[in-house]
Amino acid sequence: MFGSDLLQVVLSGIALGGTYTLLALGMFVTYAASRAMNFGQGDFLAVAAFLGMAAMTIGISGAVAFVGVCAAVAALAMAVERIAIRPLERRGDGESLNVGWILTTLGFGLMLQNVITIVWGKSRYYSPPLFTSKNLAPLHVFGAALQVDELIVAAVSLAAVAGFYFALNRTNWGRNLAAVSFDPATASLLGIDVRRTITIAYAIMGAATAAGGVLVGPLGTVQSHMGPLFLVKSFSVVAVGGLVNPLGVLIAGFGFGVVEALSNFFDSTFGDLYPFLIVFGCLIVWPTGLFKKRLSDVR
Amino acid sequence: MRKILGLAAGLIIGVISGAHAETVKIGIVEALSGPPVIVDFGESYLQGIQLAFKEYKASNPKRDIEIVVYNDEANPQRSVSLVQRLIASDQVSAIVGTVNAGSVVAFAPLAQQAGVPLMIGPATATDITTKFIDQKPSYIFRCSMVERFMTDAVLDWAVKHYKSIGMIHTTSGYGMFALNEVQSGMAARGRTLAAVEAAAPTVSDMTPQALKMKDAGVDLVLIYHDSPELIFRAFQKLDYKPATAAGWGLSSQMAVNVIGKEAIEGGVMAQAFDIEDPKAREFDAKMRAEFGDKYRWPVVAALGYDAMRLVLQAVDRAGGEPAKVRDALEETDNFRAVTDTPSHPFSAHNHECLEPSAVFLGVWRGGEVVRLAN
Repeated sequence: MFGSDLLQVVLSGIALGGTYTLLALGMFVTYAASRAMNFGQGDFLAVAAFLGMAAMTIGISGAVAFVGVCAAVAALAMAVERIAIRPLERRGDGESLNVGWILTTLGFGLMLQNVITIVWGKSRYYSPPLFTSKNLAPLHVFGAALQVDELIVAAVSLAAVAGFYFALNRTNWGRNLAAVSFDPATASLLGIDVRRTITIAYAIMGAATAAGGVLVGPLGTVQSHMGPLFLVKSFSVVAVGGLVNPLGVLIAGFGFGVVEALSNFFDSTFGDLYPFLIVFGCLIVWPTGLFKKRLSDVR
Repeated sequence: MRKILGLAAGLIIGVISGAHAETVKIGIVEALSGPPVIVDFGESYLQGIQLAFKEYKASNPKRDIEIVVYNDEANPQRSVSLVQRLIASDQVSAIVGTVNAGSVVAFAPLAQQAGVPLMIGPATATDITTKFIDQKPSYIFRCSMVERFMTDAVLDWAVKHYKSIGMIHTTSGYGMFALNEVQSGMAARGRTLAAVEAAAPTVSDMTPQALKMKDAGVDLVLIYHDSPELIFRAFQKLDYKPATAAGWGLSSQMAVNVIGKEAIEGGVMAQAFDIEDPKAREFDAKMRAEFGDKYRWPVVAALGYDAMRLVLQAVDRAGGEPAKVRDALEETDNFRAVTDTPSHPFSAHNHECLEPSAVFLGVWRGGEVVRLAN
């Protein structure tokens, strides 16, 4: 009984952890490319969840909706880079800290939140199941029940990290990203199209976030204010995983989801507290994240 | 020429100030943005207020009366400054609002001190009006559900029909308050909760909490959480089918939208608005005609409607003087409510429009909340 309970809780945690991983992956890639992040990323997730829900409600299949929303949010992410980050990027004197993008991306996110409220109102919504015809038929694994959609979130986040690892190490864009991350000016002198590399990084961030949003919609409840909490948790994930290694992001993402589920199981009154306590503990012991030292290179 | 202009200006100012003196303002503070579950309360209560005001204006076209509506964004600090503004700047004769008990607790002393009657709604915390009732006179009234009344109605039924009762509550102030009420209510009935689980208001998955209920063999789960859909979803996943009961929050159409019509079927909650009553049916039809799909929550809208009618009738009898409006409210008699508010709801010792006996249990049957047969 206890064993199957634990498995149940861990599986549920892995599904949610998959969403955090996808968002954290977006933070990782944008930070590597531009030393900036999209603080409105949580609201991108909300937009994707709403778009996915709207597409499926009008009868578009789950797979088509998934691809379409990822493409749309990737375009939106490229726009945010162009409008809210690029004009501020490295425009300072080279010495003082340039953090204007925090405000502009946060502002962009708040605008998105308001657009959602205008279009869909302030109500909560139930998003139809993505790939299953009925949400009531869970799979059974050693006595634990798992919804197909939960399994898909975990699978997609694993695939995203694997694909990303491949792109970083085996493609020209990955090599360019390493150079841009090291020093954009030098990369530019070497003939690398810095602008294009950064734009692609933001598109990847948008697509990964959208994947998380479309997938998490049917698992929970879709509402205009859902973004910031995911942002905070994913930021914790990227801080613990280290900003230099997608594998660290994967481990920290799944780990955060599992710890969150376990703490809700063992002491639900403080269910939200323990994951953050562990994050603090990790950051005290490894201030730069779990994998920073091992791989000081962007890859 | 200058004299003529001066005379004209004097006349205009005189007319404006004369008109101003006769205009009676009623201030409304509700949470119209913020967390969706709070907004659902605020918007629904306001819809009832708006219908009552529209009907009043239609039947009293010459009465110069205005409503001033402010959105407190479910923020106690903001609600306090809005109430200050209503009292000092707008000079309202009465105030109606709001959703958050924390906000009401913060601004009710201001209304009491300023001598402006406050009609609380739809906040439910038990002792809001009783805190002021010994101050003679108390300016604090309420036309809403009362948490204790709801808990008593649910627990009386629960202990009679179920052997093992569990509770899932939110960790917000409301949830912790509800936990105390339920635990003391169970103790008073000689029972204890078989399992108690909590979840933050922002939780994304409640599988662990549902699992604990299932493991404890709970056959009735009391739900005091803002996201009941996550609990129902976890029950489905675990193939666990306990009976469910909750406060009146479960009766909103929004709850059906997010939980699903099949899953919510049989869900029990406290009510004070019997849709099978002809006058309730009539009100329901008027609300549907007025607000269409935006009308989601009959019991909350009906209490807003009754609250505003109580205030308007008091203003009608007493004029714009706040102290007289208060007296008129307390003296209200022969009131025909659409909710179970009695015809003479208030007295010097009671400023709640609902009595404990007015609260009954409703149940979801075929997409509608109907009275639960005992």
